[in-house]
Amino acid sequence: MSKKAKTILGILIIVVFLAIGFMSFMDSKIEYVNFAEAKERMRTVEVKGQWVKGKESKFDGSTNTFTFYMVDDFNNEMKVVLDGAKPNNFDVAEAVVAKGKMKGDHFHAKDVLTKCPSKYEADGKEIQNNTGK
Amino acid sequence: MIGKVLVYIYFTTALLSCISFFLTHLGKEKFLKFGRIFYHLTAAGILATAAYMMYLILTHQFQFAYIWEQSNTELQLPLLMSTFYSGQEGSFMLWLTMTAIIGIFLLNYVSKGDRLEAQVMCIFSLIVAFLSFILILKSPFLYVWEKFAGDVEVGFVPQEGRGLNPLLQNFWITIHPPTLFLGFSSLAAPFCFAIGTLMKNRYNDWIKFSMPWLLFSGMILGLGIMMGGYWAYGVLGWGGYWAWDPVENSSLIPWLVIVAAIHTMIAQKRTGGYKKTNLLLCISAYLLVLYSTFLTRSGILGDSSVHSFVDPGYEVYLSLIIFISLFTLISITAIFYRFKELKALNAETNKMLSRESTLFIGSITLCAAALVIFAGTTWPIFQKGTIDQEFYNRMNLPIAILIALINGISLLLKWKQNDERSFFKSILFPLTLAFIVTVGLVFVGVQDFLIALFALASLFTFFVNAELAVNAFRKKKSSIGAYVAHIGIALVFLGIIASSKYSREENLSLELNRPQSAFGYTLTYMGATPFQDPDNKTDTKYHFNVKVEKDDKEMILKPVMYYSEYSKGLMKNPDIANFVTKDFYLSPMGLVEPELFSEDELMELKKGEEKKIGNVSVMFNDFDFGNIDQGGKEIQSGNYTIGAIIKVKDSKYTETLEPKIKYTEGNPEYLVAKITNNDTYNFYFVKMAVKGEDQGGPTATIAVVNNKNASLTPKADETLVLTASVKPFINVLWTGTVVLVLGFFISILKRRRELKR
Repeated sequence: MSKKAKTILGILIIVVFLAIGFMSFMDSKIEYVNFAEAKERMRTVEVKGQWVKGKESKFDGSTNTFTFYMVDDFNNEMKVVLDGAKPNNFDVAEAVVAKGKMKGDHFHAKDVLTKCPSKYEADGKEIQNNTGK
Repeated sequence: MIGKVLVYIYFTTALLSCISFFLTHLGKEKFLKFGRIFYHLTAAGILATAAYMMYLILTHQFQFAYIWEQSNTELQLPLLMSTFYSGQEGSFMLWLTMTAIIGIFLLNYVSKGDRLEAQVMCIFSLIVAFLSFILILKSPFLYVWEKFAGDVEVGFVPQEGRGLNPLLQNFWITIHPPTLFLGFSSLAAPFCFAIGTLMKNRYNDWIKFSMPWLLFSGMILGLGIMMGGYWAYGVLGWGGYWAWDPVENSSLIPWLVIVAAIHTMIAQKRTGGYKKTNLLLCISAYLLVLYSTFLTRSGILGDSSVHSFVDPGYEVYLSLIIFISLFTLISITAIFYRFKELKALNAETNKMLSRESTLFIGSITLCAAALVIFAGTTWPIFQKGTIDQEFYNRMNLPIAILIALINGISLLLKWKQNDERSFFKSILFPLTLAFIVTVGLVFVGVQDFLIALFALASLFTFFVNAELAVNAFRKKKSSIGAYVAHIGIALVFLGIIASSKYSREENLSLELNRPQSAFGYTLTYMGATPFQDPDNKTDTKYHFNVKVEKDDKEMILKPVMYYSEYSKGLMKNPDIANFVTKDFYLSPMGLVEPELFSEDELMELKKGEEKKIGNVSVMFNDFDFGNIDQGGKEIQSGNYTIGAIIKVKDSKYTETLEPKIKYTEGNPEYLVAKITNNDTYNFYFVKMAVKGEDQGGPTATIAVVNNKNASLTPKADETLVLTASVKPFINVLWTGTVVLVLGFFISILKRRRELKR
């Protein structure tokens, strides 16, 4: 094969690869939205918000789902049904991110991440509780 | 004080070392001596600081904010020692310490013979200086009254530390981070060789010097990555060993580039080609390590990872950006400075069907994988959100197939030129063998086309390498390393196919003592037993004992759950039964405790409110605290009794009753109350809820149970909810990893011997 042919072949392969990669990439993007936007989109999205502690939350062993209410940053409230048990650190999380899609009247989450910035980093209040010696 | 002073000293000596080596590079030979002395001073200063920090940790000097944040007096020695690097500041300190140690060996190595000493050490010292600079900004030696100025007074010494995050409290933290950082640190050497050789303008021998270091990084980083995978799988209970998480990805990307570089460097050694490629690969591998640090340390991916990131503060963010930019700039400058010379380097055309060409194509393919992962991991910086894991799987599957195929083919080809007929002859046997086994696999159930193709390619490269390894073992033992490593990666591929694509999973609710079957096993939840973890005396952990039976054999698996005071949440650890052909994996999800009352027996009442259940109506008047002090020490101690005064009406009678709750160490016992002339109904006071006036004031929850025999029994037994899964042949994956590392190790020995010749 001549050098020119090789170069052309190389470029062709790279272009095809990039094109496939780009299309696959656009398919796999999971956007950060609020619940109002989640209703419009049929695909998997992520919604960040807070757990509504006043409302009921419970684990159902028969369907293996954890149900809770969540309010997003634009104050839309939504019932969330998570596949699985109550996530780690759920009670102290200052924000939760639910990944999934809308399903009828509720948001069906495949995964819920909890955000606890205070987890590793201490603050001044905590150290005051430590009596000195 | 000592820690803070030392950092300025070794930062300065590192810069002086860099300058001295640079002057040596410019031809002022007498500065070489100073460069070496300054480097050794730097390393000594860093090691002294690390030793001092370890001493402070072991002696629990909680006046240091870092030590107060990360450790406490409960931790046993191994975990206590790992608090050295469990936090941000400490992990930078670990990185610096590892780099300093690598530097001592590197200096010794390059000072023997003409091995680009001045150039390599000039760049290396600059790296050390930069890491030191980060530690000036983010010092682990701040006192609590400096870090929390205003909250505590100067001289304050906390009595106890906060302790180590329970997620990190296990064996793997003692070796996984040090291994990764050793990999990261040692990769500085090939980078310095590449830049050094550009400075020196000499492009033939640097790969020979650089190779053992590159192999070392590849071995250690690969080991570290898989350790992380095992940690996630065996302890954290992610269910799998790989989640395409940014933290995992960002160390995999440089590893792929390292592997690509190793292969094209071998091609350069044999044929003299690919000189530019190798420079680029060695440079980008280290820049990618810096980028990885930036992604995982700067807090920039805070919203898109299961790992919790801490915002390290503006200074660290900025200094990391400067760090990356500066070294990228140095690399680009060096390349442009030598652009003419580089362009003049060989451009001989290789035959398509030759080992060097296939090695080159293989490296490009590896870089394509790196690029895919890079794109997915970087994306959240530009737009909020994440990339679905499927993207990585879909893109990398064809790439992995190609990599396996190219690997097998390249080894059957000879350097420079080939007789096509003998090549096709040699490919026939391994390909046929692989084909037969794959057909077998298809019958067993591997019916996805691409997966079957992946299995075929992996088996092909496995057989090619196995044959070569056997031959090498007979004739030339020293060259066996590469084949062993390839067998390792083929096993890793096969393990991935089996354990990820064909693992089965089921969610189960196991009622106490009631057997259930899943995947041919009979599972029985036998109850929970508390145990004490010597590293964590604050929490009581529980083993949830599950009896697993199959064909007269039985064993007890003990997944763990406990409430963590530190995280204020439920922590879960899986348990695994390891068989030769599969893992049986139990991941606990929660315990559903039995309810004493059903929902339709309960009513929540405000003061003065009246509700009806069946024929009975209940009005709640007030609580009766007796003579205990509300919120006082009785309630604190958990031993007290409170009552609810209620007015009850059935069809005939009206009566005022007072059911009570008696707490013993916080555990409630519900004392029944009955109407004098009607024993059908039992009244219980179940819960007091203290709510503010804006929410309608405090409420009492009352249960009315329509049952003459007034004994309270739970409606059901406690139920353990868990995910059971079968991961076939996951052992193949772990075995492959060990074999891969072994192969790297043999290759390092070989390359070192070659150097001495």
